Amino acid sequence: MQQDLDTEYAGRKPPLFWLAVRTGLLTLLTLGLYRFWMKTRLRRYFWSAVKPGGIPMEYVGDPWEKLLGFLFAVVILSFYIGVVNLILMFFSFTFFQNNFAAYALSFAGVLPLIFFAQYRARRYVLARTRWRGIRFGMEPGAWGYTWRSVVHWLITIVSLGILWPRMTFWLEKYRVDRTFYGDQKMHQGGRWTMLIAPMKHAYFGFGTSAAILFVAISNETPALLGLFVFTVPWAIAGLTYWRAHSFRRLAETKEVGGVGFASGVKGKQLFWTYLGGYTLVFLSLLGGLMLVFITFAAVFAGMFGIASIFENFEIMATSKQLPVWAITMLGIAGYFGMFLFWGAAKYTFVTMPIVACFAQTLRLTNPAALTEINQRARDEFAEAEGFADALDVGAAL
Amino acid sequence: MNTIPEQYDTFADFADGKSARLARVGVRLEPAVAPDRLHIGLPDGQAVVWPIEDIRQLPDQADRAGLVLSADDDQVSRLFLHDEAVIKALRGLAQNLHQRKPVQNKFRLFKWAIAAVASVALIVMVLVPVMADQLARILPPEGEKALGDTTYENIRTALNETGIAPLKVCETPAGLAAMRKILTRLNPDDDLPYKIQVDILDHEMVNAFALPGGRIVFFRGLIEAAENPEEVAAVFAHEIGHVVNRDPTRDALRAAGSIGVLGLLFGDFAGGTLILFLANSLVNATYSQKAEAGADVYAHGLMSNAGLSPAALGTMFERLRAKHGDAEGLVAHFAAHPALSDRIEASISAAEGFESTGPVLTPEEWRDLRNICGTSHIIEGTGAPTPNTVRDGNGNGTKTGGQFGSGNKLLPAD
Repeated sequence: MQQDLDTEYAGRKPPLFWLAVRTGLLTLLTLGLYRFWMKTRLRRYFWSAVKPGGIPMEYVGDPWEKLLGFLFAVVILSFYIGVVNLILMFFSFTFFQNNFAAYALSFAGVLPLIFFAQYRARRYVLARTRWRGIRFGMEPGAWGYTWRSVVHWLITIVSLGILWPRMTFWLEKYRVDRTFYGDQKMHQGGRWTMLIAPMKHAYFGFGTSAAILFVAISNETPALLGLFVFTVPWAIAGLTYWRAHSFRRLAETKEVGGVGFASGVKGKQLFWTYLGGYTLVFLSLLGGLMLVFITFAAVFAGMFGIASIFENFEIMATSKQLPVWAITMLGIAGYFGMFLFWGAAKYTFVTMPIVACFAQTLRLTNPAALTEINQRARDEFAEAEGFADALDVGAAL
Repeated sequence: MNTIPEQYDTFADFADGKSARLARVGVRLEPAVAPDRLHIGLPDGQAVVWPIEDIRQLPDQADRAGLVLSADDDQVSRLFLHDEAVIKALRGLAQNLHQRKPVQNKFRLFKWAIAAVASVALIVMVLVPVMADQLARILPPEGEKALGDTTYENIRTALNETGIAPLKVCETPAGLAAMRKILTRLNPDDDLPYKIQVDILDHEMVNAFALPGGRIVFFRGLIEAAENPEEVAAVFAHEIGHVVNRDPTRDALRAAGSIGVLGLLFGDFAGGTLILFLANSLVNATYSQKAEAGADVYAHGLMSNAGLSPAALGTMFERLRAKHGDAEGLVAHFAAHPALSDRIEASISAAEGFESTGPVLTPEEWRDLRNICGTSHIIEGTGAPTPNTVRDGNGNGTKTGGQFGSGNKLLPAD
């Protein structure tokens, strides 16, 4: 019996950051057209960074395919969104005399579509993922996923979030039971109740916060809200605990062709990674802003002399001496630059370290069974993840 | 020793793409003897030979130390190479490592691109405006009023320059009374299912606009730029025309439809809201030019019936044209109004053979109106109002600021 396979992680911050910045810039310059290439390239990097048993995962998605899928989705969705939005706005003002209802109804109208798009997106991404040359895949089932999601969400909302683990389990099971690796179907075992324990800290944190809020409002003692200082961080930590331990439980009960999984990811790890990551993102954003400001000051100094910076600080701040077009260009560049930078920093400092946490603690059990798994045919997917692209939902990566 | 080896031998991992088994293979490269092939020795004794010119490297890989290779014609098998020396040699020999697959089926892509653009164009230019038109007519008055109130609050907040509170409404009682007197003279009540509500916002923009549900907004800048109360009355009549024609309601509904669709196309790259705004402006502009002309026609009729000269609209435009220039071409298209000279002409021809039945406000009332925003904006020498004549220039030094939201404004903004 072969030993368990450990997973290596090969991602590094500098190359990822520059890849994100380069592709982001090209996306801006092409008014968004390059985004299909950007996503593909970033996925290739992220996928290849995860190396179970030392062999990297592979993403073989084609940007042209994604573009085609997107165009396909636009043709279909433009009708739906254009007409439906209009009608909803009309009904909202006719019956409710405000536009909140329009937004709410619009959202409700599009929501099922979002679930549909998410399933199709996951199907495409899996169909273009390989490991050891063998393709992953997913059976059709988007409509089933859509109505189940709606029902589960309703149940969860009615239970004020308490039944969240239940929804998580059943939707995961639906997806996993339709997932293939090669010619072997994957299977999600276990029961939804096994996800209650991972939720315990979140229950405590959110529960006590809600209770405090309720008591503070009904007794009109706002001072009580000071307790949020304890309960809110607990709730947030509870979320990372949930993510880690629900992943563990769900992984342990998955199997494909006899191969099993084990995860040692810790909630603490995730919590500090998120905290540290976002702090670094903000700091680097601040650093970037300072850089822009200093450059601006340098240019100004170059044009009007250094002394004038101190004398005319107000003028420099209100930029009355620079031509309007220069201000506009700087403004636009700054605006887009911020977004680009923010995106790249988030990938580098948050997304990648989090993926690393999960990857490095993942083990494959009974890897000998891999020799029995054979190749599956390529899934020719006409619309790729077009709907997800058009609706701006789908995988974060 | 600096000799280049004649033969490279190393081990690597190989996935044949038929099963998930990973094979440990022997890799041989002989640059001197057989530079055109890579020899892969499988564990069962068999061998796979890859022509060097067909070898491709997987792009954008995280692990820089290793190399993942595929052969062009075989889509699924992969060679995982780690030996530095072999990798270096291979990079030197293989010229096509970075070659990408050519684009499959360009024609299909092109076809769908055309379909997508046509589809969006059809929806945004034809379907949505037509539906908006129909729906605007059947939207009940309460609904229209609610729509107008919501939009009004949004605009006040958006325009405020101090960024602290929404824009101030000018409420000097004497000024408001003067405005009401103008409205009474114009008398549009028969044409509408709701009362006209007028507000003056404390902003230097020289403009006025109408919102759904009978709400009309003037900017202080326009009151200051007018030379006599007849001009204010003319603008008032024009805005009432927009309300009667349901232009603002149609616009709001049309915007709801178009923005969603245009958002689809541009996605959310770096918050591409700017591009979205521009695109929406362009669509907006064609639509509103008809609306402006229609409102002008209504205004001429309303003014004549009230015993006021329709030419007042023209004289104001004339003055502002001298100040801001006639917007032709692309700017005109964007600026949501027919070319000013056309409107001036239309106004003057509507006034042919017209006789006035007296001024709409007394000089005192006119002064009250001009000071509606309080003493901080008193105009020098507000004596008798100057009568309607076509003239040039009127330096009031107002900064008109930028465009916002949808059409139904009277004049172009700079």
